Amino acid sequence: MLSFRRLVISLTLGWLAVMVVAPHLLVLATSFMTADIQHLAVWPLSLDGYAKVFQPIYFDVFLHSLWLSAVATALCLLIGYPFAFILARQKPVWRNVLLVLMMLPFWTNSLIRTYAIKIILGKKGLVNTLLVGTGIVDEPLSLLYTEFAVIFGLVYILLPFMVLPLMASFEQLSKEYVEAARDLQANAWQRFWHIYLPLTSPGIVAGCLIVFLPAMGMFYVADLLGGSTNLLLGNVIKNQFLVVRDWPFGSAFSVTLIVMMALMLAVYYQANRLVQRKGGLDDQNL
Amino acid sequence: MTKTFKTLFVGLVFLYLYAPIAVLVVNSFNKSKYGHRWSGFSWTWYEKLLNNDTLITAFTNSLTIAVLSATAASVIGTLMALAIYRYRFRFKQTASGALFVVMMSPDIVLAITFLVLFIALGIQLGFWTLLLAHTTFCLPFVVITVYAQLKGFDAHLIEAAQDLGASERAVFWHIILPLLVPSVAASWLLSFTLSLDDVIISSFVTGPQYEVLPIRVFSMVKVGVSPEVNVLAALLLLISMVCLAVFAWFMKRKPKL
Amino acid sequence: MKPLLHFALALAAAAPLAAFAAGKVVVYNWSEYVPEEVLEQFTEETGIEVVYSTYESNEVMYAKLQLQNNAGYDVVFPSTYYVSKMAREGRLMALDPEKLPNRQYLDPKLLGKDYDPGNRYSLPYFWGSTGIALNPEEIEPGSIHSWKQLWDPSYERSLLLTDDVRDVFHVALSINGHSANSTDPGEIEQAYELLKELMPNVLVFNSDAPREPYLAGDVDLGMIWNGEVIQARDEGVDLEYVYPDEGAVFWVDSFVVPAGAENVDEAHAFIDFMLRPDIAKACVEYVGYATPNLAAIELLDEETRNDPVIFPSAEIVANGEFQTDVGDAIELYNRYWEMLKVGR
Repeated sequence: MLSFRRLVISLTLGWLAVMVVAPHLLVLATSFMTADIQHLAVWPLSLDGYAKVFQPIYFDVFLHSLWLSAVATALCLLIGYPFAFILARQKPVWRNVLLVLMMLPFWTNSLIRTYAIKIILGKKGLVNTLLVGTGIVDEPLSLLYTEFAVIFGLVYILLPFMVLPLMASFEQLSKEYVEAARDLQANAWQRFWHIYLPLTSPGIVAGCLIVFLPAMGMFYVADLLGGSTNLLLGNVIKNQFLVVRDWPFGSAFSVTLIVMMALMLAVYYQANRLVQRKGGLDDQNL
Repeated sequence: MTKTFKTLFVGLVFLYLYAPIAVLVVNSFNKSKYGHRWSGFSWTWYEKLLNNDTLITAFTNSLTIAVLSATAASVIGTLMALAIYRYRFRFKQTASGALFVVMMSPDIVLAITFLVLFIALGIQLGFWTLLLAHTTFCLPFVVITVYAQLKGFDAHLIEAAQDLGASERAVFWHIILPLLVPSVAASWLLSFTLSLDDVIISSFVTGPQYEVLPIRVFSMVKVGVSPEVNVLAALLLLISMVCLAVFAWFMKRKPKL
Repeated sequence: MKPLLHFALALAAAAPLAAFAAGKVVVYNWSEYVPEEVLEQFTEETGIEVVYSTYESNEVMYAKLQLQNNAGYDVVFPSTYYVSKMAREGRLMALDPEKLPNRQYLDPKLLGKDYDPGNRYSLPYFWGSTGIALNPEEIEPGSIHSWKQLWDPSYERSLLLTDDVRDVFHVALSINGHSANSTDPGEIEQAYELLKELMPNVLVFNSDAPREPYLAGDVDLGMIWNGEVIQARDEGVDLEYVYPDEGAVFWVDSFVVPAGAENVDEAHAFIDFMLRPDIAKACVEYVGYATPNLAAIELLDEETRNDPVIFPSAEIVANGEFQTDVGDAIELYNRYWEMLKVGR
């Protein structure tokens, strides 16, 4: 019986089963297999892949990558939070214009934008020319192929992703709380700490989620701006799959990323629930 | 916060976002290859780009994939949103979960899952693998957008149609779908953007015979300064501004009831 | 909605099919290795379309071919030791000598080598060297003459190394007095230990176009391939190329046809075209590497023929060492290489 309803449900389940569920299970399975140069991954099952994740050399890269992504995320938050705050309070017409202007660079492809950063950070690039020209420094700085360059590039690409969920959060914020706080003589800092921050925490966590994990995977930023000496986890994973061909190890790292994602989602869920509770008028902390 | 501070801050952020691209665009007209000095206005690089067959092919390929995957994702995603909204079925939670996983996963993880799948199934990497992968990663965004609009629906309309004897298919085709046009259009545009912007997934699932833009650009920029990439940036920016204008006009239209 | 659907389907069907309409050859090559004009000339003369993509290391090329089961590409350019490796693993198709009459122009001294006896699977395209580059505006020309000097702590975070495992290990092995083609695990480990001390001096690894960081002014000293120096000169920067005391790295890249190639006749047509003296000459002039094509060498102008960067003297070549097959030891090299690059 080929009813419309059956067709739609089969399509939904079929597509997701083949293109999402099965591949994830395959990766999980691969992470427990043994590496083989010729056949990529073979039986027997083994924990070698995961053992390699914790080998000092690779674990160091993992931690370093975490560090780079964390700094990039923090910077995105520092810049994105006030930016979203200002934008959310504009009149809708102006707000949409600014939002669109912020998203416009996306159509030029992240790779081209990363290349643009490479151009301006070079010793003969725009930034150095300005620094030397205005006399802030005497010699051009070595900005490219450094941690700074990678972080700069990550923030550049991912900033809009931080702004969007924050804006959604700000828009949902009831003006009444802010006004009530004002009436109660709360100053700007108190308003921020007790009202804005807690109530936008889901937005903050969402923004961090959308920035932090992808940052770890953006190998092309490390390739172009890091000089292959400042590796992100994405570079290691890509290397394992496309050059060294240790698929179990590469899969193990991917699974690690997925686990991290699950943990961060748990945090997000908690933050959301906290906000739902605090939203009541009987909250004593107000 | 004072007004001037706010304006200054927003201005600085936009400066940060646009300055690098501006440098590229300005340099696309620069006669000198290196752009450290301005040596005169010239269209040379534009000519070079238009004569660069491989780059044009790669660009066309990217556009083709973006159009096709956006369309496929819009169609499939709309039907998925419909299923989740209207029907009860086994594994419904799993389906929602799977979509959520795709949306939240970093690109590199998705890329790996696709690569492993295609190699395990013995599918040759190329046009079809790229299309399947792009369609899949656009799906969650379509489903969320369309579902959000579905939730705001007046259920009475649908009930009325069913009372009058309309089949499921008819209800969808004649009542639900026409009303969904704004969200389907918005999600098509979003999918198109995501597909065009993708670098990571394309790196893993593309084949030698179907090169897409990011791959070609990657080869070009790794080799050094590439004035053709400057031209590309300028052209893409122009195209996106035009499309945005079209979209803005489109969004002004109200859905017909 | 229907006509749109039809259009979309037609587009979908046409897209991959259109590629098969004309004769074509899919070429996979090192970046910056063939001038565009040569490719265009080939298409003009033969009508065969060239689908061209590049890689920056043998490992990337090998992994891609493995993922695609040796299919998808028609002509590839591995280095000597990969020719042996790929031939051993059955990944290459035997060349058809009848379709390659222009091979008569090749220097017999570069044919019939150990890595491919009888040239069953390959013919040499270019040979070249990896040496030291320095920017004479920042560093005193002539002050650097040995690999060992790169280890000087004053060069912290300022060197460029080619992103090539054999190149870099060659440096350490020759400093230690061992053969660059060593298969001895002890010697390889010693080289690894020596290289670990070099790592703090490295700013960037680059095999796509090693000249680029020098041109951009971000690097003043490091490794480089000789052809890149020639190309840098063409772009207005006069790098100095040094053949180090311990011996430069010499290598050969060859044409091969993968076992799963689809356009075999077109592949042979392409290779034979590239073996033409006038074409080989054009390539040398643009890319700056040494051609094994004797007839082409005669067509070159004096200056190019006598340029020591492109055509070093016999003594310099004797002092260096040609890369050749190391068999399974390559996996050991690769493992140490990864540890070097990741452990920064």
